[in-house]
Amino acid sequence: MAVVTGLIMLENILQSLAAGLLIGAIYGLMCVGLALIFGVMRVINFAQGDFMMLGMYAAYYAFALFGVQALFGSTIGPYVAALLAAPLLFAVGYGVHWALVSRVTGTRTAGLDGDGHYAQLILTLGTALILQNGAMIVFGSYPVSVQTPLSVSAWEVGPLWDDYVSVFVNKARGIAALVSVATILLLARLIASSRLGKALRASADNPEAATYMGIDVQRSHRVAFALGTAITAVAGALLATNYPFHPYVGLEYVIVMYAGVVMGGMGSILGAFWGGMTIGVVQQMSTLILPTQLQNTAIFVIFLLIVFLRPQGFFGRVVERT
Amino acid sequence: MLRIAQLSAGYSGVPVLHDVSIEVEEGRFVAIVGPNGAGKTTLFKTISGTVAPMAGAITFGGVDLLAVPAHRRPHLGIAHVPEGRQVFPSLTVMENLEMGAYTEAGRIAWAETLERILEWFPVLGERRGQPAGTLSGGEQQMVAIGRGLASAPKLLMLDEPSMGLAPAIADFIFERLIEIRRQSRLTILLVEQRVAEALESADHSYVLEAGRVVLEGDNQELRADDRVRQAYLGM
Repeated sequence: MAVVTGLIMLENILQSLAAGLLIGAIYGLMCVGLALIFGVMRVINFAQGDFMMLGMYAAYYAFALFGVQALFGSTIGPYVAALLAAPLLFAVGYGVHWALVSRVTGTRTAGLDGDGHYAQLILTLGTALILQNGAMIVFGSYPVSVQTPLSVSAWEVGPLWDDYVSVFVNKARGIAALVSVATILLLARLIASSRLGKALRASADNPEAATYMGIDVQRSHRVAFALGTAITAVAGALLATNYPFHPYVGLEYVIVMYAGVVMGGMGSILGAFWGGMTIGVVQQMSTLILPTQLQNTAIFVIFLLIVFLRPQGFFGRVVERT
Repeated sequence: MLRIAQLSAGYSGVPVLHDVSIEVEEGRFVAIVGPNGAGKTTLFKTISGTVAPMAGAITFGGVDLLAVPAHRRPHLGIAHVPEGRQVFPSLTVMENLEMGAYTEAGRIAWAETLERILEWFPVLGERRGQPAGTLSGGEQQMVAIGRGLASAPKLLMLDEPSMGLAPAIADFIFERLIEIRRQSRLTILLVEQRVAEALESADHSYVLEAGRVVLEGDNQELRADDRVRQAYLGM
């Protein structure tokens, strides 16, 4: 009997861990989008959660209204819609940077109060409010989600021990996590070895020297902002198959994103992924011992611990900035 | 090749340079010497476009440089090796050099220039995979110069390459510059506080004081000039 109780406990732990890893992969992707923007531009973007919300709606409308469901069916459709959200939100990010953010960042900040940081905070906060309330007017307040049969079916892993210890992996979340990891690997490769990626890193390291290399730093910033927006939007769209959302959903996640980015080490892309992953795992594991309402408390206890013990984050830069 | 005429420039409306005229002919090694705060770095930044001029004109190979945005100027063939090295600290040595070759000319000549850069500065080859921020000051200066050369420039602008370096390392950097110049016949514009070395290696020099050109001339002329001997050469 004691063995059975132990096995059930083990099963619960493994089940929570699996759920944490799956949701963590998506949180990780979300955080990577934010980290890219912060890492290259040193801009704190408060509207990141709302860009994510736009990504969710973009996927929702692409799926339900603009034929993605009809064309690809309900099984693959949601993922096609999620990937379609990327170019769309890339364009949104590009436009927002061009019209607004570029006015208070980069080379134009010389002479502005606090190097433009105050203006940046107010601008992105204002953008967030406009997006939230604009979305309320356009999309309405009724929560929606991308419907797929995959979100109500699961793969069974096990039983691992006689007839006991089976872990169920929700198919929709499983595929979402795989798409998320694939996106991050692709991005990491782009940043590490493409000409564009190196130019982005050079612009982040030293914008003035990058200009002397012939790199258009303003354009680097615009691409980073757009890319970061698109990445977070894809994460949102992947989340949209399992979680009903509404115009204010961004507020819930922007906190997760910031915690993840800080945990990973500000500006580190890979670190942001592991930060998001940690949050997902802590959040899901905490439900084993804490009531669900307290899962965010668990996240922030861990967050404070990590910041206290390792202020530079998991992957904080040890390289001195010259 | 580079012609600066009656240039005034500064920061937030306060001029640092007054009515500066300087000419660099193709194939020449021109030095600008002078004390701290004379406006040497401001002059370089105005040529590169990170400081906006208040008056005057700059042309490069007949092109009105002031009409070209800062990030396009390197593509015309101007390489700026900035004061204080300013390497990309988190990029590896090799990636730093690759960023130098961001210009089209640099990309085309990449294989050949890389080989020469590593010949001139073999230590960069040994450190190729290391983040540039972890190098010593002298090595970072070599990265900065290598990065400038990697763009396959027509004009190489060096802003105080000896700054903050141990004398032996500074001597080595100077010796390399003379060697690079001997082999490549590159046009060089050098800003330097080590006046004796600068006057020795350059063909033609300008003395900049408080934002004005107070003296100019060829190598021997300047070294024979009493004011230069007293103020800068300690003779």
